[in-house]
Amino acid sequence: MHTRLAPLAALATSALFLAACSSGTTESPTSSSDTTGATAMAAQQCLPVPGDTIMVLEDDMMLQNSDNVIPAVNAETANDQAVLDALNTVSAVLDTPTLIQLNKAVDIDRQTSAEVAAQFVADEGLSAPSEGSGSLVVGAANFSENITVAEIYAAVLRDAGYDATVRTIGNRETYMPALTSGEVDVVPEYAATAAEFINRSLNGADADAVASGDIAETKAALDGFSDFGVVFGEPSDAQDQNAFAVTTAFSEQYGVTSLSELAENCAGIALGGPPECPERTFCQIGLEDVYGIEVTDFSSLDAGGPLTKTALRQGEIAVGLVFSSDGELGA
Amino acid sequence: MSIWQEAWDYISSGANWMGENGLTRPTFDGGWKFAHDSIVALTIEHLYMSFAAVALAAITALPLGIALGHARRGGMVTVALSNVSRAMPTLALLTLFAASAIGFGNRAVIIAAAIFAFPPILTNAFTGMADVDADVREAAEGQGLTRLQVATRVELPLAWPLIAAGLRTSASQTVATVPLAALVAGGGLGVIISTGMATQRYGEVLAGGVLVAALTLAVDAGMGALQRRLTPPPLRAASLAPA
Repeated sequence: MHTRLAPLAALATSALFLAACSSGTTESPTSSSDTTGATAMAAQQCLPVPGDTIMVLEDDMMLQNSDNVIPAVNAETANDQAVLDALNTVSAVLDTPTLIQLNKAVDIDRQTSAEVAAQFVADEGLSAPSEGSGSLVVGAANFSENITVAEIYAAVLRDAGYDATVRTIGNRETYMPALTSGEVDVVPEYAATAAEFINRSLNGADADAVASGDIAETKAALDGFSDFGVVFGEPSDAQDQNAFAVTTAFSEQYGVTSLSELAENCAGIALGGPPECPERTFCQIGLEDVYGIEVTDFSSLDAGGPLTKTALRQGEIAVGLVFSSDGELGA
Repeated sequence: MSIWQEAWDYISSGANWMGENGLTRPTFDGGWKFAHDSIVALTIEHLYMSFAAVALAAITALPLGIALGHARRGGMVTVALSNVSRAMPTLALLTLFAASAIGFGNRAVIIAAAIFAFPPILTNAFTGMADVDADVREAAEGQGLTRLQVATRVELPLAWPLIAAGLRTSASQTVATVPLAALVAGGGLGVIISTGMATQRYGEVLAGGVLVAALTLAVDAGMGALQRRLTPPPLRAASLAPA
């Protein structure tokens, strides 16, 4: 009798154990049957709205630093005014929508950076205002947007009579020393980030921030770093920086086009972004302190990558962190 | 300050265990979710996800493995099934799910982890049933037992140590895999690791790793004890063999 019961007991217990696993653990440790979260919201709680197209909310209080695309030139090379003239003609025509289209052509339509750059120079009819000669190396960081801008710089420099080649180098820690030493002559830079990088390398890691949301101030700060050995050309209007995106459907439903309007119309939002977002001034902390937006729910995803954009489209989050020049914003 | 010191500071502070605002958080749509600043809440969430995944895998793999093993047919099928699901990279699955209707978060992770938990349960159930001594089976049939009785009263008790070992292997592997959830907006102890990486607090990364390892060992030990308890006494000596 005992021997017959043992296997049955074993089966019964294992079945119970499995049943407990699949149902029992879903109970919360603290009772959550009353939805305390919903009643705390007095104003309108803006729920995510799924949609195919995403758009960036305007950063009208300049929470983000002015990361405008700007040519960084080796100080010795910059003595030749023709180089700066050529690069400034590029800055004059480059703005964020243009940059988005360039990125879309490379990242989504899968053309090469060189093709896209040549097409852009031809379409815009860019030509260098003054003549020069000699060979120049245009360095680029290792991501497609920077390479495309470097190719555009090179094309205009060739138009001015230089023998220009593009070389992809890597990250800022790698290309900045190459730029100051003259190994490369020109690099497409981002104003605020470059200013802070130079500021830290000249004044120590804890130096006070010099960049701001105002590009003129940031440019003045850049011009102040003459000892660094890099001269900056004119900043363009094209920015690649943190931006907060919503679906166009969300924007229409709640009537928000800027972050201020979002703070006004929405009592609480679900935000998605990189894991460090809740601790970053340019992310959740800035939204809460500068705009007074209440983030009721944060999802840890990626930095402006496919997860964040998918979560926006599927309506998992209402607002997501993207990069302002992301090619998908041009769809 | 060494990384071990930082990890110890993280683990030894009570605030990190209980979280600032309790174990749960209200979400934007009126529901709740586990607070991600509390080790206790993350551990509960981690265990819930692991158990759900293993249960899902067991519900599908056990009947299949036991039935096929009893019939002594489909050995090739089980091997093929096991190998295919074992070769599925869980992280790639999560990324695929994120782009599909399954979406991401805990539910997607449970499904992906269940696929990962499936092979050891299936193979062990099949092998355990199929490898019962033919003499024993024939003796049982000679006693006049029906085929179902042979399966439930003779083969299953004899196969149980191996089946339980499969469940145990599967459970500890799953607990060690669920940290991937943190990469797709899910919960569990992986959150501590991924947040630590993102904020460059490597002591926290180490602490998270240690917590995951400790939880995996604890689950393995717990399942081992359970395995012993559920093994018929005459077979216990045999079931002491490592899983």
